[in-house]
Amino acid sequence: MLPTVARPDAAVDATTLMKSYPGVQALNRVDFAVAPGEVRALLGKNGAGKSTLVRILCGAEAPDGGTVRIAGRAVDMFTPRHARALGIATVHQELSLVPELSVAENILLGRWHRSRRGGFIARQALEREAGAVLAAFGVAIDPAVKVRTLSIAQQQLVEIARGLSLQPRVLILDEPTSSLPASEVDILLRTIRALSDRGVAVIYVSHRMDEIQRIAHSVTVLRDGRHIETRPIAHASTAEIVRLMTGGPDAAASGPRGMRPLGDVALKVRGLTTAKLRSVTFDVRAGEIVGLAGLLGSGRTELLRAIYGLDPVVAGGIAIFGREPAGRSPRAMIRQGVGLAPEDRKKEGLVLDMSIAANLVLAAMHKVVHRMMLSRHRQAQLSQRTAARLSIRLARPSDLVRTLSGGNQQKVVLGKYLNADVKVFLLDEPTRGVDIDTKRQIYALLDQLAAQGTAVLVASSEVEELMLLCDRLLLMKDGGIVDERIVAQTSLADVMAIAMDGAHEAGMDGRP
Amino acid sequence: MTIRMMISSAAERPAAPRWFGRLEGEISGLLAALILVSVLAALFAPNFATTGNLLDILRQAAFTGIIACGMTLIIVAGEIDVSVGSAIAFSSALFGILTASFQLPLWVAALGVVAFGVAAGAGAGAIRAYFNIPSFIVTLAMFSALRGAAMLMTDAIPVPILDEGFQVWGNGTVLGLPVPALILLASVAVFTVLAACTVFGRSVYAIGGNADAARLSGIPVKRIRTVLFALTGGLAAISGLLMTSRLGAGNPNIGFGVEFAVITSVIVGGASLFGGKGSMLGTLLGGLFIAVLNNAMVLLGINAYAQDVANGIVVLLAVLVSTRAADWGRLRRRL
Repeated sequence: MLPTVARPDAAVDATTLMKSYPGVQALNRVDFAVAPGEVRALLGKNGAGKSTLVRILCGAEAPDGGTVRIAGRAVDMFTPRHARALGIATVHQELSLVPELSVAENILLGRWHRSRRGGFIARQALEREAGAVLAAFGVAIDPAVKVRTLSIAQQQLVEIARGLSLQPRVLILDEPTSSLPASEVDILLRTIRALSDRGVAVIYVSHRMDEIQRIAHSVTVLRDGRHIETRPIAHASTAEIVRLMTGGPDAAASGPRGMRPLGDVALKVRGLTTAKLRSVTFDVRAGEIVGLAGLLGSGRTELLRAIYGLDPVVAGGIAIFGREPAGRSPRAMIRQGVGLAPEDRKKEGLVLDMSIAANLVLAAMHKVVHRMMLSRHRQAQLSQRTAARLSIRLARPSDLVRTLSGGNQQKVVLGKYLNADVKVFLLDEPTRGVDIDTKRQIYALLDQLAAQGTAVLVASSEVEELMLLCDRLLLMKDGGIVDERIVAQTSLADVMAIAMDGAHEAGMDGRP
Repeated sequence: MTIRMMISSAAERPAAPRWFGRLEGEISGLLAALILVSVLAALFAPNFATTGNLLDILRQAAFTGIIACGMTLIIVAGEIDVSVGSAIAFSSALFGILTASFQLPLWVAALGVVAFGVAAGAGAGAIRAYFNIPSFIVTLAMFSALRGAAMLMTDAIPVPILDEGFQVWGNGTVLGLPVPALILLASVAVFTVLAACTVFGRSVYAIGGNADAARLSGIPVKRIRTVLFALTGGLAAISGLLMTSRLGAGNPNIGFGVEFAVITSVIVGGASLFGGKGSMLGTLLGGLFIAVLNNAMVLLGINAYAQDVANGIVVLLAVLVSTRAADWGRLRRRL
């Protein structure tokens, strides 16, 4: 049911919004209205204007022109505090929790006075109130524990619970499920439906079509800062939405994968054991793309970190092209031709306040050294070439990496290792928070690298992505490899089933 | 792979090449402030605009300025060193003991003092890097220990060093310029190149900007942190030797408060205590600004305590201005 008819007054109504940044018209006369109780999916490529629209609605930025009405009242002050007071709650993609505080303290952050007793925080009252929010949300997290001790998925649920505790009129969720395993996504989607039934308008920014099909009443697609179309979900197939987002008829979700000849064993892992890994053994050949599938916490990230020498190894070892690495530090690994593009590119992948060029040569500075000195000329040449090869758009090499979109930042991380002549590429969630178009470019790049003889080991929480990208999948559970599949001989459902219950017996249709 | 490199037109954005972010605006602001305070001093402070006085300012600025070169890199790397004042006292005392009690030739003693300064700095840096102890704590321990050791060695009594050749280093001039000022200029030149044009310097900025990313990119973070403190230890020893020469004695009672004077120059020069940002030129201008200000206040007969108040205000203002400018700049360049 579309509630638009029953409740004609929009919960949030933005008209002819304009916003520009130097060189970019981020929003161009965008109209956007959501009715109470409506769940609206907001889609668009990076740079389409989604983030800008969300930032304006949650008060983080003021528009250059146009009006925003919340429940019929025009908004004149654009501050996060004002937006909250008007009943807009926002859950951002990036977590903003205080790790050393308890779950309860985080959920009620800034509103402790409500359970204050004579200047002291009444812990029990706080935990009771937070516990009630979590219970209504259907999440079993102890409100007394410190956020630091929670998994990332749990932390995200706490973040969402905080948004809900404000009893909002409008809830904005910016890629809320990007780090949630399926079971927790279900909890979230159920909660969204319940909120919608209670008349809360939900703006759901996501790239995940399956979720959108399940909960959204309608979808809005933005492209190049313009409102392209808003339509009921019944008339929005995946292919159709992809077409609206890209503006072209090219809606094919997967390109044909060329057959690549496999070379020698590039990465050999034997009995690798750490605090979080149980005797992992596998090979990756030159020219092969191998995927690590499994639920969050299954050990995908930990395996990549252990190979790269970031976590202490208890037993077992690795060999790169038949040779045991001389040292077990990132520096030694890069010298051996191994590079790790980490999951959190802002925290571990990039120096945000350095230029694109400086980041692109960060792992290979020796290449731009001339007579003991860094040569600006060589750096400019190399980074220009790399930026072009990666099609990093709307940027000059001297711009700060901070100014790039998520997808382009990820390209810079990849480019950094390309410049270091990496022969074994370890990638952790390489397309997290990246738009569909950039995803495809990254897939094409990895495919091209593999064709040139690079071995690629990629961990991802999106099995669809691994099916699209990889030749072979390793299925992980509880720090060990529980199964293996040749992608061409298996199905998504098969892999998902194994990943979700770690079953060994599901090998009916997969194994040769 | 399609090449879709769209470069926005030069008219839309400033074209100056930027490697480590926006520094030029701050440098020119600082230069303007320095010129302004110099002009005001020349107009109102008696004898300010005389060659003798200006050279004296340079000489005074040199003792802290030399150390500030190393401190800039330390702060850019997101670290801090509060031990340099005590390191000066220790170097001076050690030099006095080595020459007076051990009768070592002056140049051997000087080399020994610098070698010890480098080693002590490297030790502090290694503890910071390999045991992951905050540099403030490590150097706070050094701050106390080195001063105490200097007092112990000399019984808190200055050791006279009567050698005319040695006194030239602190008091003499070459081509009309004070020797310490020449050493300062040489240090600034060397460290400017080191910071802006070498793999080491780039690594320091990368570590200060994002140490995790630097490590994953194969930058030897621990080694570089160790070397940073070794460099500053060496510079503090050199500065200590120059002060010893200036005073004509190995003195454990010198260098009080120098660590904060040095850090002040670096901060006024635009470096961020959060790391990743700062420049040698900024530090030089920052140090000169404070030296000129203090000199003018002395000439105007302003109370010495009032000078401390003024220095405090300068630090706050400098940081406020630089922070506001950064906010404004970020807003402007956000996409």
